[in-house]
Amino acid sequence: MSIKVLNPNAEVLNKSHALHMNINAAKGLQDVLKTNLGPKGTIKMLVGGAGDIKLTKDGNILLKEMQIQSPTAIMIARTAVAQDDTSGDGTTSTVIFIGELMKQSERYIDEGMHPRVLVDGFEIAKRATLVFLEKFKTLVVMGDEPDKEILKMVARTTLRTKLYEALADQLTEIVVNGVLCIRKPEEPIDLFMVEIMHMRHKFDVDTRLIEGLVLDHGSRHPDMKRRAENCHILTCNVSLEYEKSEINAGFFYSSAEQRESMVAAERRSVDERIQKIIDLKDKVCAGNEDNFVIINQKGIDPPSLDILARAGIIALRRAKRRNMERLVLACGGEAVNSVDDLTPECLGWAGLVYEHVLGEEKYTFVENVKNPHSCTILIKGPNDHTIAQIKDAIRDGLRAVKNTIEDESVVLGAGAFEVAARQYLVNEVKKTVKGRAQLGVEAFADALLAIPKILAENSGLDTQDAIIELTINLFFTGRTRQGKCGWTQY
Amino acid sequence: MVGFSTQPYGIQSMLKDGHRHMSGLDEAVLKNIDACKQLSTITRTSLGPNGMNKMVINHLDKLFVTNDAATIVNELEVQHPAAKLLVLAGKAQQEEIGDGANLTVSFAGELLQNAEELIRMGLHPSEIIIGYTKAINKTIEILEELVEEGSQTMNVRDKDDVISRMRSAVASKQFGQEDILCPLIAEACIQVCPKNPVNFNVDNVRVAKLVGGALHDSVVVRGLVLKNDAVGTIKKAENAKVAVFVGGVDTTATETKGTVLIHNANQLENYAKTEEAKVEELIKAVADSGAKVIVSGAAVGEMALHFCERYKLMVLKISSKFELRRFCRTTGAVALLKLSQPSADDLGYVDSISVEEIGGARVTIVKNEQGGNSVSTLVLRGSTDSILDDLERAVDDGVNTYRAMCRDSRIVPGAAATEIELAKRLKEFSFKETGLDQYGIAKFAESFEMIPKTLAENAGLNAIEIISSLYAEHASGNTKVGIDLEEGVCKDASTVRIWDLHITKFFALKYAADAACTVLRVDQIIMAKPAGGPKPQQQGGMDED
Repeated sequence: MSIKVLNPNAEVLNKSHALHMNINAAKGLQDVLKTNLGPKGTIKMLVGGAGDIKLTKDGNILLKEMQIQSPTAIMIARTAVAQDDTSGDGTTSTVIFIGELMKQSERYIDEGMHPRVLVDGFEIAKRATLVFLEKFKTLVVMGDEPDKEILKMVARTTLRTKLYEALADQLTEIVVNGVLCIRKPEEPIDLFMVEIMHMRHKFDVDTRLIEGLVLDHGSRHPDMKRRAENCHILTCNVSLEYEKSEINAGFFYSSAEQRESMVAAERRSVDERIQKIIDLKDKVCAGNEDNFVIINQKGIDPPSLDILARAGIIALRRAKRRNMERLVLACGGEAVNSVDDLTPECLGWAGLVYEHVLGEEKYTFVENVKNPHSCTILIKGPNDHTIAQIKDAIRDGLRAVKNTIEDESVVLGAGAFEVAARQYLVNEVKKTVKGRAQLGVEAFADALLAIPKILAENSGLDTQDAIIELTINLFFTGRTRQGKCGWTQY
Repeated sequence: MVGFSTQPYGIQSMLKDGHRHMSGLDEAVLKNIDACKQLSTITRTSLGPNGMNKMVINHLDKLFVTNDAATIVNELEVQHPAAKLLVLAGKAQQEEIGDGANLTVSFAGELLQNAEELIRMGLHPSEIIIGYTKAINKTIEILEELVEEGSQTMNVRDKDDVISRMRSAVASKQFGQEDILCPLIAEACIQVCPKNPVNFNVDNVRVAKLVGGALHDSVVVRGLVLKNDAVGTIKKAENAKVAVFVGGVDTTATETKGTVLIHNANQLENYAKTEEAKVEELIKAVADSGAKVIVSGAAVGEMALHFCERYKLMVLKISSKFELRRFCRTTGAVALLKLSQPSADDLGYVDSISVEEIGGARVTIVKNEQGGNSVSTLVLRGSTDSILDDLERAVDDGVNTYRAMCRDSRIVPGAAATEIELAKRLKEFSFKETGLDQYGIAKFAESFEMIPKTLAENAGLNAIEIISSLYAEHASGNTKVGIDLEEGVCKDASTVRIWDLHITKFFALKYAADAACTVLRVDQIIMAKPAGGPKPQQQGGMDED
């Protein structure tokens, strides 16, 4: 072969060999993911290089963690990742559909058909299917008051494919409420405003939604209150610690008194800033039992903490940047960058702020807020892999709910769409196509059946019986499912 | 890279070298079960008061002689992924309650062993899971019914009440010594129990291990025992006020680098004098405020020490931040950052503080009998370090049990009486079920027999006889009959006063069932090549602290 002349070490596969290798890769990947599909799919255990355990049923996670090497398989895995990026779910279906398409084509190619013709047929079928999808979908108008039931159905379908039933049903409520909480009219939903926090504690069914915020650190001073009600919250990004000057400065002194005064001078600017905060506290908390909480993005050094503690203020330092944004959305008020012109209007409000200590870890809960636009899903689980599993599922669930609200349409699930689409392709589209491309359309239509087939297989039903029954009844179940799996065709 | 043409079909071809992939019943599920079984056989022989000790040497060459399952599985560094799930369940139990880790691991192992039989019979794992889930829910219902009446409320300050609930937990770790240990632990716990017992903090009961003497010499100190000497020459103070400084007792320094500017010899002399005067002024201020003891969180300067001696102040150095906080809690002092005159509110108070020599080690004993004190220390004595370590673990379990009973004081009969009753009632429940679930439930019920069986075996009794006579007793309505291991007969657990906490059992069984179901749910394992670089062992070392 000519390339061998150019580079004797090169490996080459030609024509049907190359095609077969690709088909094999696609089929292999399908085999791996097949058992994941649907609520009755099985769990895979992934063991990382360091011996860490991950349990998952999510196709996307599996593809990410598996360290695939075969080039074709990587390509397919990327398609699946693209699917995940656009909709957050449906990766397993994508991979299975690709594998099935390849399997169907293999049959025709073995019979001597040119791949080119098949591709033409696939193209036609794809377009027709997308058109059919538009017709098939059920519109749900969200308006100001979204229909919770529809959202719950969508979320439940997604979650049940990732977790076991009882937990999935519980999370459904959490996920839907979480998205509705951060939803603002006329604005796209920003899922980052749902903070996901985890605690290794109790059982997975103790996972809950908190209307407010949970921060994964506590106050750093032993004398600060652990629990406070009716709190004014100052969200700020002000350094409350002594910072070294940029220039290389030094002090010169010749007596201990001089040194003392320099020590005092050093701290003066920090102390002044603290005093301003304390003044504000005195203003808003005068004459009532209210408490005052500072959540600072920058640091607060021990002397400042001490002053604040003495003034009865709870102070948290080094909050995460993303939490600053969420805090303002949750508690109201605004985040301040300077303490120069503090007014009571800058303050947020929370009914309850408390600290929860779990072994070495401290968590601060900011709860009972007014009219929150940010919330926290607090995941609990006895061990890390359970938590990771729930976290992945929640992420997908949130995306599913968001997509439904924004897309305002759903399609029937449980294989109903696939069977319907296939009937449409075979009965209507195929006739309009001339020539050998017809076979391509047919292959595409048959490949669609892979999803219901595997669903039936995983549930322990007889595949053939299920498909035949489905075709006769066409729609045998009315479960809804978030729409538009953007099938990318390979 | 493998040549294209030689590439085999399937998943193996797609993964990087060194990956291992196991799937299906034989390869994954049964192998997993086998690994878990192995693990539980290790822990099982340590179950109960007659459990045998294990000698574990970890990667740091540290020797552990213990029958505490949490420690054993922790130090074993289990590699097998499925067995690790069991270890995690044990750890979760240890973190949640602090006791019952052995029950969790052994019971989960037993559940899996029984699941294997079902799989070999032809049941699908998912059917077993459904059965097990139903069974655990029912178990929890039954467990609620078995709770001893009138135990919902208890006086957590009543020593006898506390001891009766704590005994079985401590006895399973230190059999024969529970009558010495329990009163000590109970006393220490009751001393520091806050007004609202739910807020009881395990951290407030400290353990000081001192080699020498014997267990009989162990005492409870209301206050702290610090394992270091006083800094100065004053070693004793009574009814003293205490000032605590976090930042150390020394001359102050600026954050910016300072340089002393000296033009001539005169100034040099003067500088030293001003320095001295300044320190003296500060120390005098402290002494004037009424304090007799100074506690420093950092270094104590030579000069400062000199003036402390002169003003007859006792100086202590506690370098651990947490230890210092505890000291503040004991004495009621407010930690001051810098050396300055403390206000009257900032001062703490101790009844006595003295340096004593116990078994060759110098320790500072801080005693405070007053109400504000919330720390107590159990001074454990024993002949070797391993014995002391094991005693400490028993004390930890006891203290954790106390915390658990503060939250939920309900008790169930111990000595395997509860398990047999659960087994009996679950079996009845399984007969009512139709469908394949009943096999799972029946096996779940059977798994409970493991506990009396193991208890009897460990005590050298005939397990079969014991179990059959237990069943006979329970069938005739004596629901509280358990095994008396000392005499080897069945007795009413309420008469021999062996009680287990409901909450410990609840969490242990739930975690065990969860772990078993998780192992059964996995049908495929994909293992990456073990990463190079720092060995996982080193990570294990870091986890410890």
